Amino acid sequence: MAKHETPLLDQLEGGPWPSFVSDLKHQAETKPEVYDILGQLELSYKDRITHWKHGGIVGVFGYGGGIVGRYSDVPEQFPGVEHFHTIRVAQPASKYYSTENLRKLMDLWEKHGSAVTNMHGSTGDIILLGCRTEALEPFFWDLTHEMGQDLGGSGSNLRTPECCLGTSRCEWSCYDTQETCYHLTLHYQDEIHRPAFPYKFKFKFSGCANDCVAAIARSDISVIGTWRDEIRIDQAAVKEYIAGNYPSNGGSHSGRDWGPFDIQKEVIDLCPTECMWMEGDELKIDDKECTRCMHCINVLPRALRPGADQGASILVGAKAPILDGAQMSTLIVPFMKIEKENEFEELIEFIETVWDWWMEVGKNRERVGETMQRIGLNNFIKIMGLEPIPQMIRIPRENPYVFWAEEEVEGGFDRDIDEFRARHAA
Amino acid sequence: MPLSDDELKDAICEKAAKSPKPQLYIKDFYKCDPDSKPRKIKNVANELVREGRLMFWSSGSTTMYADPSRIQNEEKNR
Repeated sequence: MAKHETPLLDQLEGGPWPSFVSDLKHQAETKPEVYDILGQLELSYKDRITHWKHGGIVGVFGYGGGIVGRYSDVPEQFPGVEHFHTIRVAQPASKYYSTENLRKLMDLWEKHGSAVTNMHGSTGDIILLGCRTEALEPFFWDLTHEMGQDLGGSGSNLRTPECCLGTSRCEWSCYDTQETCYHLTLHYQDEIHRPAFPYKFKFKFSGCANDCVAAIARSDISVIGTWRDEIRIDQAAVKEYIAGNYPSNGGSHSGRDWGPFDIQKEVIDLCPTECMWMEGDELKIDDKECTRCMHCINVLPRALRPGADQGASILVGAKAPILDGAQMSTLIVPFMKIEKENEFEELIEFIETVWDWWMEVGKNRERVGETMQRIGLNNFIKIMGLEPIPQMIRIPRENPYVFWAEEEVEGGFDRDIDEFRARHAA
Repeated sequence: MPLSDDELKDAICEKAAKSPKPQLYIKDFYKCDPDSKPRKIKNVANELVREGRLMFWSSGSTTMYADPSRIQNEEKNR
């Protein structure tokens, strides 16, 4: 494979940021097919159109996910990228690697593919970019047999579940996100590797409402740690913060002089539900009004901790803006115990109720959040067998219309819709 | 009454062979037997893939099923 002239791409090396162009040029010194990535991309910039064809029947036997077909539509000019399939490899929980594992994985990818990687894709997988069709099965054999690793999800499958660092490094984590993620990954192997759904489906597990994996913004079921008792307060530590002896926010803003710490301005006035106040030199919290936003705990980590009765809130329906605009997930279950002892039974039951309904009612290429929107939250809540609660509603009393079902009204009511329409045309 | 697994397999293969488009969503197979649960239809379709009587076709974001001879011809002409 020859080196191509790439004047347009070369401009991307000039700015202050690290450049993927420089990285690819470096890679091409040992993997000459990478020159063809640069050549084809330069052509795309000139033609203002992509020269990748995506999708196809490529995969490894028995798996309906983990490989995304990618071909060049100008293979005569760029034979090195004639086939350039993407492989998704499941990441370990919280992305803890040993350097030995990473070296082995890179050696394997040098052997079978282009050696170009994306650590990590937005679902969290290790993304390996650029494999010829005939190398897919040998790569998969070595990955599974030599390294004991597996492919991740793609297509209409359950995507590789993802979690924050959880209790491994974070004192705020309200449940063991890694254990939950690992258990459900094993429990749902079939759904990860073989398509089951109308469209993609994602779980993400965050240990607290800081939501370090952005579960609320991008997962169909977001499991976000919370507590149902009171925030634990160490009043002596509160005094130390007020006196300026402890740095606020764990010192994370200490690169600049922000002036003396002001608990009223930086904590109490920023509480979204205004449930905090000072009584003398003691900080008080009306916990029943607390919305678990984590702000006060983030600012005063040595003084405040999540409550001791811990579990998670379950939210449903987030997605990125591919078809219908971005959507955050909606709170459905305010509190659920997330426990290894019962093998996460309650969470699994919830997940499968959502799936059974969505597999039947969801349209092709419709995310579960879009199906919820289409049928209405009130209907979704009924299907899930839940009682409505105020926390499910983003803006109370926004909609003045209340549609009562007959069984919801004491004594019921008779209604003859034909007789009504005879007097009031639709 | 739901079809037996073998009857359902035949109905799915027939649908894949005769549909106007070679790639079909899993939901397209639901009509093969309205009495079978979606999860059973998914399991049977995946078993057909293991038997080599169906193939997966994936765009990356969506996975579809296809009759192997039809889709292989289609892929050659892409």
